[in-house]
Amino acid sequence: MNIETATHPAEIAMQSPFEQELAMLIVTALHLEISPAEIEPVAPLFGDGLGLDSIDALELALAISREFGLELKSDDDRNRAIFANLRALADHVETHRTK
Amino acid sequence: MSDWSRSPERGASWLVHLMLWLMRHLTWFASGIVLPGITAWFYLTSATARGASTEYLGRVLGRRVTPLDVLRHIHVFASSILDRALLLTGKAGTITIEKINGLEDVDAAVAQGRGCVLLGAHLGSFAVLRTMRERCPVPIKVLMYRANAGAYSTVMERLDPDAAQDVIPIGDIQSMLRVHEAVAAGCIVGILADRAPTGARRTFASFFGRQAAFPVGPFVLAASLGVPVLLFQAVRTGKRRYQVTFTPFAERITLRRACRDADLSAVVGRYARWLEQSCRAHPFNWFNFFPFWERAEHVPTKARPLVPAAASASRARLGSKFDAAAG
Repeated sequence: MNIETATHPAEIAMQSPFEQELAMLIVTALHLEISPAEIEPVAPLFGDGLGLDSIDALELALAISREFGLELKSDDDRNRAIFANLRALADHVETHRTK
Repeated sequence: MSDWSRSPERGASWLVHLMLWLMRHLTWFASGIVLPGITAWFYLTSATARGASTEYLGRVLGRRVTPLDVLRHIHVFASSILDRALLLTGKAGTITIEKINGLEDVDAAVAQGRGCVLLGAHLGSFAVLRTMRERCPVPIKVLMYRANAGAYSTVMERLDPDAAQDVIPIGDIQSMLRVHEAVAAGCIVGILADRAPTGARRTFASFFGRQAAFPVGPFVLAASLGVPVLLFQAVRTGKRRYQVTFTPFAERITLRRACRDADLSAVVGRYARWLEQSCRAHPFNWFNFFPFWERAEHVPTKARPLVPAAASASRARLGSKFDAAAG
């Protein structure tokens, strides 16, 4: 499935341009079997929502570090909020990116 | 089928309490006499452990398993728990490490300065790794599933509060970030890679002639970290005597994008073969007292859905989570 044939076109409209870019990175870095457009901006990434796990969190953090020059640290109290959903992650990365 | 993450540890918790009491109140001689009694009691009360032991020993020994074999198996397990309690109470001196094989391989990996991963199994004692701390120039951390570990782990933590800082608990979003930071700082991180609990991302590998589920999490993690990987085992060879072996596994685990599932299966297969060899050499050191070959399927998630089509079978098996894994 790709963006053109996504079954929920309404979700595409919900993603901002940067969220789309980040959704693409998530799907690519984590080898997910969904299209980037299927990641709902406010649905939980971990646990019950998309169903990612802590190894995904590491791979995602490493990919974000490579792409945007931003280091995500384990001792950051905001981690739960930063990784809450696509929108929260996109906001954080866009604010703190160095490249 | 009972869930491994509960039954083996919870089933053994009374055993731990009893043995800790014995340690504090009786002499070694007395506990040495009582130990067979505990073993018999465990044998009589845990049908799951008895059945799992019989199945496992049958495959490894290749002959009919007698109740005496199962009793011996449980006895080694109970003894190793007692040894672990000794290690954690700082009585490491009472444990004899009669031989360490492959320490130079650890030194070589550590000398690169980028840390390394030690993959172990519920075979012998992982806690013996603690005795390596004095010999090792870098800190050793252990990745463990703690949230559901039951009274056993709680007791062990109470015995040695310092150990808690060497443990990286699985379950938080940032667990693996902590592992990454630890190896980046040059630490050794130990991970048990033989248990694939319900809900874990898993793959199947041949183990004593039959397919068994193994967690893919430890291997995916090691690949993400990109550091050298060694195998670790500390088997009980006699009364409070252990033999430690480090075996180089990979300079780094590489999972190619185009054939990721196949690469994962291959690397897990290699681990399973090593485990099989270790079991053959030390049959009674295997401490997975649950039906190892009969596991429920994984739980699909949105990101990694369970697709029933045959073409997706291998992918489907790799779906779902790691967070329920290890231990």
